[in-house]
Amino acid sequence: MSTECPRDLIATVERNDLFASTPQSQNKSRHYGFLQLRIPQAQTILPGQFAMLKKHGIYEPLLRRAMAYYRVTRHDGSTSVEFIYQILGRGTESLSTMRVGDPVDYLGALGNTYDVQATKDKNALLVVGGVGSAAVFMLAEELLKQGTPTRLFIGGASRGDLLGYDDFVELLGKENCISATVDGSEGERGFVTTPLERHLQANANKPTVIYSCGPDAMLHATAKVADKYQIPAQLSLEAPMACGIGICVGCAVAVKHDCAEGFVYKKVCTDGPIFWHEELHW
Amino acid sequence: MMTDSQLLTIECAGVTFPNPVGTASGTCGYGLDLKDLIDLNKLGAVFTKGLSAKPMRGNAPWRIVETHGGMINAIGLQNIGAKTFVAEKLPELRQYATRIIPNVFGYSIDEYSEAIRILEDGEGIHAYELNISCPNVKEGGKSFANDACQAAEVTAAVRKASSRPVIVKLSPNVTDIAEIARAVEDAGADALSLINTAIGMSIDIHTRKPRIGNVTGGLSGPAIKPIAVRCVFQAYRAVKIPLIGIGGIATTEDALEFIIAGARLIQVGTANFYDPSATMKIIDGLAEYCREKNLNNISKLVGTVEA
Ligand SMILES: Cc1cc2nc3c(=O)[nH]c(=O)nc-3n(C[C@H](O)[C@H](O)[C@H](O)COP(=O)(O)OP(=O)(O)OC[C@H]3O[C@@H](n4cnc5c(N)ncnc54)[C@H](O)[C@@H]3O)c2cc1C
Ligand SMILES: Cc1cc2nc3c(=O)[nH]c(=O)nc-3n(C[C@H](O)[C@H](O)[C@H](O)COP(=O)(O)O)c2cc1C
Ligand code: FES
Repeated sequence: MSTECPRDLIATVERNDLFASTPQSQNKSRHYGFLQLRIPQAQTILPGQFAMLKKHGIYEPLLRRAMAYYRVTRHDGSTSVEFIYQILGRGTESLSTMRVGDPVDYLGALGNTYDVQATKDKNALLVVGGVGSAAVFMLAEELLKQGTPTRLFIGGASRGDLLGYDDFVELLGKENCISATVDGSEGERGFVTTPLERHLQANANKPTVIYSCGPDAMLHATAKVADKYQIPAQLSLEAPMACGIGICVGCAVAVKHDCAEGFVYKKVCTDGPIFWHEELHW
Repeated sequence: MMTDSQLLTIECAGVTFPNPVGTASGTCGYGLDLKDLIDLNKLGAVFTKGLSAKPMRGNAPWRIVETHGGMINAIGLQNIGAKTFVAEKLPELRQYATRIIPNVFGYSIDEYSEAIRILEDGEGIHAYELNISCPNVKEGGKSFANDACQAAEVTAAVRKASSRPVIVKLSPNVTDIAEIARAVEDAGADALSLINTAIGMSIDIHTRKPRIGNVTGGLSGPAIKPIAVRCVFQAYRAVKIPLIGIGGIATTEDALEFIIAGARLIQVGTANFYDPSATMKIIDGLAEYCREKNLNNISKLVGTVEA
C-alpha cells in the first residue's frame, strides 16, 4: 500500500447530523456529529489515516481539527468521506454549525496506516472507546477482506456513546461485537478491557494482534493488557495538532530510543498516528 | 505588462530574492516538508526550523495550545542539528529555486559560532538568521535578545565566523526594540527579522493547570500582528539595515501592512498551519497590488507609511 501525498482542497458538506447521548443517572449529555464530505478528487485513503478540517472562511478558531476517516466511498472523480466527532470545544462546535452544501477546508489524507499484514494467520481484536471507533471501521473492512477473524470490543459511557455500533454489527456480525457501557445500558456494565481480558484468557493459545483507538486512559489500559498477555498492539494516538503535516512539531510523543535518556520525541501526525505499543515510552 | 518577477524581485542583506515572501522558522520544517503542498520554486525564501550545533530533543508535551487569534507553543527547539541538516536536507532543498536561510540558535556564544562553523560547509545557503531569543546560560540565563550588549556580542561573534550575510531576529519581549535594533546594527548585522513570538500563558480553569507543559510559551498568529507592525515601524526609524517583517501574516493585506511599515521581506509563520498555500496567495496578491497601484517594483512601497 502506498500513500499519496496530501491535498489541500475545498470539500463540500453532504451531511452533518447531530445527536446526543445521555447516560442513565446523569443529566449531562454528550453531543456528537456525523459528518459526510465530498472531495472533488479521487483519493486513496488508508485505514487509520486522518484529515485536518475547518469550516471554510472562518478564522475563529484558527487551526483545523484532526479527524479520523470513518468510511470512504470512491466515486468517479470524487470521494465521499465520513467522520464522527464529539463536540468538545471551539473547533468541533464550529464543525457542528456547518450545513449541507457548505465549503470545508480539507487537508488529507494524512498519517500512516495500520500494519494489516501483522495479522496474517492470526486473530484481530479491535479495542475502541468513544469517537475512537471511527478510526478502525476501515481497518475492520480491510481485515475481513484479508480473511482475518476479527472481533470488536467497544466501550462507552452509554448505549449512545458506542459510535458506529450498528455499522460494526452489520459488518462483523453481532456475535463479534462485544460492548461494555459504564451505565450498563448496552452490553456488560463497566470498562471494555474486562471482557477483552476474559476473551484473552479463554483463547490463550490463539495468536492475536490488538488494534486500539480511544481515550488515553483506555489506550493505557489496553497496552497493559497487551503486555500481560504478550500480544502485539497497534495504538492510534491523539495529540494536540496545529498542522497535521509535520511542520510545527507540536504533536510530540515519546518513543523508546537507544540513547542516554532512553527516548526521543516523534511526531504523531507524520510518524503516526499509529504506533506499536512496545515502541512507546509511556 | 511587467512580469511578476520584475515587480517582486527584491534585494535584502546582499541577497537577491525572487519575491519578498518567505516561510518563518519553525513553521515550515526544513522547507522540504511543504514540497507536496506548495511550489517551493515560487517561494521567496525558506527560513528553516532553528538549528543548533547538536540535535535537540525538545520539550515534553503538551507543546501547543490554541488561543484566541493565535496559538502558544513551547516546542523546545527540537531539531536534527546543523550537521544532519547539511548532510540530509540541504542537498535536496538546494535543488529548488528558493533562497535558503538556516535559522540558528545556541545557549552560549560558542554554541552559535559552532553551529555557524558547521553550516559554513553547506553549499547553497544564502544567509543565516540568528534566533537570539534563547537564554544565555553562561550569563545567568537572561535572553540574548533582552540585553543590547549581549545581543551585540552574539551578533559580532557570528559575523566574524560567517562568510554569509547575518540576519538577526529580534524578540518583542523588550522595553525598547529600537535600542536593541541599533546595537545589533552596530555589531555588524546585515538585516533584522522581527518579531519572534510574544511570551504568553493559558490556564485550564477546571484543572487550574497551565495548558502547556512548559507553563509559558510563545504566542504567534494574527493576535500578535499589531505588535509586530509596531516593532517594524519603530525599527525602521532606528536603523538603516533592511528589515524582515514577521507576525500574524496570513494574507496579502497583512504582508502589505508590514512592507508599508518598513519591511523589505516578510515571513509567513502560523498561517502555514491552517492555510498551507498562504505564501503562494500572498506572492500573487503582491504582484497584483503593484499593478493596481502602478508600482514598477514592490521595493517602492517599503517604509512609505505616512506617520
Ligand atoms: C489523529 C487524530 C484523529 C482524531 N480523530 C478524531 C475523531 O475521529 N473524532 C473526534 O471527535 N475527534 C478526533 N480527534 C480529536 C480532535 O482533533 C480535537 O482535538 C478534539 O475534537 C477537540 O477539539 P475542539 O475544537 O472540540 O476542542 P478545543 O477547543 O481544541 O479543546 C476543548 C477541550 O478538549 C481538549 N482537547 C483538545 N484537543 C484534544 C486532544 N487531541 N485530545 C484530548 N483532549 C483534547 C482541550 O484541552 C480542551 O479541554 C482526533 C485527533 C487526532 C490527533
Ligand atoms: C510552532 C512554532 C515554532 C517556532 N520555532 C521557531 C524557531 O525555531 N526559531 C525562531 O527563530 N522562531 C521560531 N518561531 C517563531 C516564528 O518564526 C515567528 O517569528 C512567530 O511565530 C511570529 O510569526 P507568526 O505569527 O506568523 O507565526 C516558531 C513559531 C511557532 C508557532
Ligand atoms: S501536528 Fe504539526 S507536526 Fe504534527
